[in-house]
Amino acid sequence: MTKKVYLHVGTPKTGTSYLQHVLFNNREKLLTKSIRYPAERFDDHFLAALDLMRLPWGGLETDAIGAWDHLAAQVRRWPGTSIISHEILATASRAQIGHALETLGHGDDAEVHLVLSVRDLVRQIPAEWQENVKHRAALPYGRFLDQIQDPRREGRIATWFWGVQEIPDILDRWGHDLPPEHVHVVTVPPAGGSPDLLWQRFTEAFGLTGVSLALDGERMNPSLGAPETALIRRINRAANEELEPADYRPLVRELLAHQTLSRRTGSPRLGLPPDVHPWATELEDAWIDEVRRRGYDVVGDLDDLRGGPPLTEYADPDHPDEALVAGAAVDALKALLLDNARLRHELGHRQGDLDQAHRELEKAYLRPTYRWRQKLVRRLETGRAGRLAMRAYRRARGRSSRSA
Amino acid sequence: MAGDRAVTAPSSASETDGQARAWGWVGHLRSGGTTPWSAWQDRAPAREQAGRYLPGAQQLELLRRLNQQRVPGPELAGRVLAASAPGRGRPDLGLVGVLPRTRFGPAPVDPSELPPDELVRVATALIAEDVVAAGEPAPPRPTRRFRRRYRLLGDPELARPFREALVADGRPPGGSGATVVVLGTDTEQMLVHAWTARCFGTEGVRPWPEWVAAAARGGALPPRIDLAGTARAWAARVGAGRVHVVLDDPPYGARLAGLRHPATTRPDLSADAIELARRIGPVVGSLVPPERRALLLWHRLRPLLAGFDGATLLVPERHRPWLAERTTDQRRRLGRGDYAVHGDLPDPSAAPAAGRPGERVGVAAPDDERVLALAMQVLLGPPAGALDEPGESV
Repeated sequence: MTKKVYLHVGTPKTGTSYLQHVLFNNREKLLTKSIRYPAERFDDHFLAALDLMRLPWGGLETDAIGAWDHLAAQVRRWPGTSIISHEILATASRAQIGHALETLGHGDDAEVHLVLSVRDLVRQIPAEWQENVKHRAALPYGRFLDQIQDPRREGRIATWFWGVQEIPDILDRWGHDLPPEHVHVVTVPPAGGSPDLLWQRFTEAFGLTGVSLALDGERMNPSLGAPETALIRRINRAANEELEPADYRPLVRELLAHQTLSRRTGSPRLGLPPDVHPWATELEDAWIDEVRRRGYDVVGDLDDLRGGPPLTEYADPDHPDEALVAGAAVDALKALLLDNARLRHELGHRQGDLDQAHRELEKAYLRPTYRWRQKLVRRLETGRAGRLAMRAYRRARGRSSRSA
Repeated sequence: MAGDRAVTAPSSASETDGQARAWGWVGHLRSGGTTPWSAWQDRAPAREQAGRYLPGAQQLELLRRLNQQRVPGPELAGRVLAASAPGRGRPDLGLVGVLPRTRFGPAPVDPSELPPDELVRVATALIAEDVVAAGEPAPPRPTRRFRRRYRLLGDPELARPFREALVADGRPPGGSGATVVVLGTDTEQMLVHAWTARCFGTEGVRPWPEWVAAAARGGALPPRIDLAGTARAWAARVGAGRVHVVLDDPPYGARLAGLRHPATTRPDLSADAIELARRIGPVVGSLVPPERRALLLWHRLRPLLAGFDGATLLVPERHRPWLAERTTDQRRRLGRGDYAVHGDLPDPSAAPAAGRPGERVGVAAPDDERVLALAMQVLLGPPAGALDEPGESV
């Protein structure tokens, strides 16, 4: 049997979190089919990607040291099929890709298959801005659109966007050393299609057809509406300077965005402005032609990369309906209040435990001789002569009387 | 191999010619050449068009500029060409004129037009690897049983060298009955020192202009250089009799803490050296855990950078009113404390006193071109004599 490595390198917002969730939760089942998803914790492949690309990520990079080599070593040791998946791998440089392929055994004993899941730009552009906002960005949507349309692509926003979204370039960088039949392009079906269709395409691309896996009904990384995204952006602008990254992640990204505001599904969705639509669709057409020309294995339909028609009712997040933003803000406040109340209760319990411990300690200190000695020591410590006397006493008495 | 597709099976004659010319330039740079890409015409022979991919414009231009300074050995040249710029930023860029322009991928560039910042990114990857390869310093001697207890606080750049010397000698800070020494100096210098300490720390920090502007917006001085606040807090904890604020005389403060023969303090690092450290720190942090990062930056990178001269950092002119106000406030609070204060902070409203330096000379921000020049010097090796002093000394 040929040893295979399926390397899924992106793109973001194409169901990658859901796929990774299913693979992680079905590791044991996969092993029975000689397929390994080598991960001890859910974000192992993310950490490996950070390590490979030496990417700082709000302090998480310290958990990532050596993670790629550890992951690659597991893949090298496994005689069957291995799967690696993380969407930020899309931005890797050619040198990093060379290192990745080499350490996975490409050119040695492993047949590396590249998998890239892709979605039309009309949906990807607003999704990427929203993802930026959920990672502390405070720039308005309009400026984001200007930056990604600027052909110079100089800023951090533009370089990241194109690094993870420009399908022909990603395929060129990652697929440079691979035969086209080992490069699998999985297209995300158009909005409104069967929710299972993407999963079927993934199973085909990863060679999982016929493998029975437990699918979790919950889709990860839920999206926000236009007023909710506008609210998070305003919060970023107001709090970025004072809120540490380690606090931002659980409070803003998780509690506010994912657990609270994403539930407001009735608000207008974020979309592509009608005036940007022609530029995006022209690019989509060029990408479709290029991918088709290169002869990769397409799982799905390349026409899925052609986005929907321009919106007739566009909700501009830079000029949102303030009543809707206020509604979202009330929901956010409520969530913070409830979380704060929970923490207060927890703090109360902890304080109770601490007070109890103090009382027990005090009881132990209540002996009159202890209190007399304590008073004497305090008095001696206030003067130079007393301090010297105490030092001499402690030295004479030995180790047990010195502070720990 | 499919990887050689672009080289061995080009789609057009111009592509062949561009690629051959680019590989010729790679060979030229590897052998120490300094000709810019725009002036390069020679094609490499087919057998020399080797490699999985052409190195990026950033890597090639960095090697060319290194060659202009001093030709590096083949190992360093190879590392430069194989390096990836760490962190976020522009990807490896193609050379203009190699391939026909397509609608995909970042636009190819003339490498000589790249901003220095892009070359610094590549250099930081290599310097960080060197810093990690240099290894950690020798561990401190075991803690002495009989030792003077102390805490050395205040200006981190003044206090840390003495604290490191004491720790290396088996005298860690803290303990019952410790004498608390708070070191300080001119507020502007302390502010620069506070940022310097962050650049050599493990948390990362914003560029100087942004950091100092945020401090000014916040109003208060950073806690570490709030000498009066530190002294007051410790006086409440251990008694005012054990607290000493020492201004402008770090060796005296070190003696109070129990260091018998404190060395003279080193001059401040240049603005560009601190900025380079700020950029290297996170890359080292991607290679080693935080505690090793802190050790390596202090004991390996810092002595390396101290060997290079350069203009010192100053607070930008627009923040000087805030600085004067903070100094006045600090003077007032120090004067009201019941702990010992040795020396004094200069009064910002008075003319410089005799024996004190007047207006400091330096720059209000690091400069990318100079940072690049420094990074290249560090890569090529420090000037003779720069490493004579051991890293652990004060």
